[in-house]
Amino acid sequence: MAHWQGHRMGLFRLTVPLLKRSCGRTAISRHFVTWSQVRTASFWGSSKVTDWNKAVSEAEKIVGYPTSFMSLRCLLSDELSNVAMEMRRLVGTKHPLLKMARKFLYDGKHAIHTRGLLVLLMSKAAGPCQDEALSETMNSGIYPRQRSLAEIIEMINTANLIHKGVVNIAELQPSDGSVEDMHFGNKMSVLSGDFLLANASTGLAALNHTYVVELISSAIGDLVEAEFVGPRDKFGHPLLLSDQATIDDWERKAFLSSGSLIAKSCKAAMMLANHDKVKQEMAYAFGKHTALAHQLKEELQPYLGYSDSGVTVTVQGAPAILYVKLHPEKAKQFGFISNPDVNSKLLRRVIKNSDAIEQAKQLLQIHGQKALSALSTFTPSDARSALEKIVNAIVAV
Amino acid sequence: MASGGRVTSLSRLHFGRNWAACRNYCRKFCTVRKHDVNSHRPFLCHPNSYCTFRTIKQHILCSQHCGEAWLQPNSRPTSTDQEHKSAVSSPYKLVAEDLSTLCNDIKKELSPSPAELKLLSQYHFDGKGKAFRPMVVMLAAKACNIHYHQHPTNNALLASQRVVAFIAEMIHTASLIHDDVIDLAATRRGRPSVQEAWGQRNAILAGNFIMSAACVALARIRNTEVIKILSQVLEDLVSGEFMQLGSKEDEDERFNHYLQKTYKKTASLLANSCKAVAVLSGCDESSIEQVYQYGRNIGIAFQLVDDLLDFISTEQLMGKPTAADLKLGLATAPVLFAAHQSNGIAHTKFLAEQHSNEAIKQISMLFPSDERNALITLTHNVLHRLK
Repeated sequence: MAHWQGHRMGLFRLTVPLLKRSCGRTAISRHFVTWSQVRTASFWGSSKVTDWNKAVSEAEKIVGYPTSFMSLRCLLSDELSNVAMEMRRLVGTKHPLLKMARKFLYDGKHAIHTRGLLVLLMSKAAGPCQDEALSETMNSGIYPRQRSLAEIIEMINTANLIHKGVVNIAELQPSDGSVEDMHFGNKMSVLSGDFLLANASTGLAALNHTYVVELISSAIGDLVEAEFVGPRDKFGHPLLLSDQATIDDWERKAFLSSGSLIAKSCKAAMMLANHDKVKQEMAYAFGKHTALAHQLKEELQPYLGYSDSGVTVTVQGAPAILYVKLHPEKAKQFGFISNPDVNSKLLRRVIKNSDAIEQAKQLLQIHGQKALSALSTFTPSDARSALEKIVNAIVAV
Repeated sequence: MASGGRVTSLSRLHFGRNWAACRNYCRKFCTVRKHDVNSHRPFLCHPNSYCTFRTIKQHILCSQHCGEAWLQPNSRPTSTDQEHKSAVSSPYKLVAEDLSTLCNDIKKELSPSPAELKLLSQYHFDGKGKAFRPMVVMLAAKACNIHYHQHPTNNALLASQRVVAFIAEMIHTASLIHDDVIDLAATRRGRPSVQEAWGQRNAILAGNFIMSAACVALARIRNTEVIKILSQVLEDLVSGEFMQLGSKEDEDERFNHYLQKTYKKTASLLANSCKAVAVLSGCDESSIEQVYQYGRNIGIAFQLVDDLLDFISTEQLMGKPTAADLKLGLATAPVLFAAHQSNGIAHTKFLAEQHSNEAIKQISMLFPSDERNALITLTHNVLHRLK
């Protein structure tokens, strides 16, 4: 419980200046209502709880503490509180760092922090090591170094999100905010991202396991590589659909951008407990396929609703790629390929009513099945069934 | 040229050498602990602590009365100096062969499949940089190996030490790329900077990629202590960058802040990578500490001179815009000293010399070798460089 309280204070410090300036008095209370509702929904249940929320909050109870895994030491550091204090300058601009900070607060529980949770559950599902040489004592079935690893993974992921939000000064629009303010936002993003990465690297060093350091460091490289895969414009934004893209390209990219970090950290958790190669590979496969399934689900989401408003479809997403493979002629006719001004409403409608959606759903099931079969090699336990529930919540469409 | 005038004014700082009067002066005004009255050589208060503005002022007063004998590197009457004069050792030549493969070694670590990322991340490893850090690290490694064997022929670099040398360059380059985004610097090493050519977002990502490749190479050394030593550098670099944002109100505190920032932003990398190669050489604890202190002091001296050059040098020579720190409103030593109505340039130079003397003192404790003497030569080069 102490962790939870402390953590809330950290978040509070981080966001109060934002709220003060951006929303005015009435809005502050509105936002705090939202905040407590989020908590209510996940802790005491509500009629609207989805399978996902349920699976996650059950899982949180199993691993011992019910909140996010970002290191407290980091969140309460002078450096990050300085960034938070300075962030008021960004209010009114469209700098992504601002959005990132809000997201961190409002839906942090269910969008951002699941990576750490997966690592902890995986650690617990694998159980204690057979090797007597490991001197650590477990806490709720998890070794302290595995908990540190979960924190490190969260730091790396958050740093990556923050760094991806650095904007190019040359392509700014007047509506984004003044150049000075946007540059200031970049400065804050670079520094806070670097701060998290530096802390992650000292954290990794403290794990005293060179193979884990190597594996997780390579995952940081993969996250960067993902941003350069596929055709891009000169600012690094993905270009529109080409008719060359295959589902393998999609899988490669999805692995780099989300699979790698999860798969490698699940494997690293096994290495920290001296588990054998088989368990390491199974944990890796579980992480990889869960991440791919999750990515597919995200990309499918815009096509499953009824309304066009407020949905953004990803032009390099699996459903779009599958559609072009299935109907190359039609895709050309509708002007979906290599068209910088693609009609996204049309794109959404056409794909929604095509067989590409069914194929994408099948692909989702395949990855879900692969994740579950990797899990089945572990002995049954609370942690294992929590992981199964999470996978089932992902594949349910 | 205005800057030329400033440089010559330095030489006017040479005072008469009335030793007796000076000794009395020093006894009166300097705390004995911080100033060796008999040898007339002020030294740093404690290897691990930083001088306050006041103690530096005291040292300067002393130095003015002690004469500039010890301030002149060529006439320093110490034994190390004579030794160094006799050895004809160009620091660069001693490790030229090892340095020649540096860029290729680094490029091997940086070969991701997307062509653009490869181009971006290898951009600065074109062999045109000074490679100052790898040179220091390699010389330190060789000096340590000789010290460990107590024999001047056992100087071959270990494979792991070579890796540390190129990791130092990778970490340095990655942090430069990030710094250029923070300062919006348009040029770097006489070429457009990465952020200028590819935009800020790509530059940040490329920096991260270089850093991750460096960490992978570091992990492959398979030595947990070395990993801890070098990951401390990353933490220091970013906390130094944060320190650059803020400033302190109090005069003493402000100077301390500046020196701490200098340690974290520049010296930590040199100090800790020297420490890492010393650990890998198998040297004993006290030698490791000496090599660390050498790196720390030469690093601080290096940055002080850098700040000085920012003040007086011309843009053409540096290959980067000068007076950039002033434009950015950063409080560097020359600025801080100038704010106190004293000769900022001379005082900064004085402080740099103090650190370089301390570096020489530390490294001189190792077993004598060409490499060790080259490290001593390097401290002089650092003080007298023009770019």
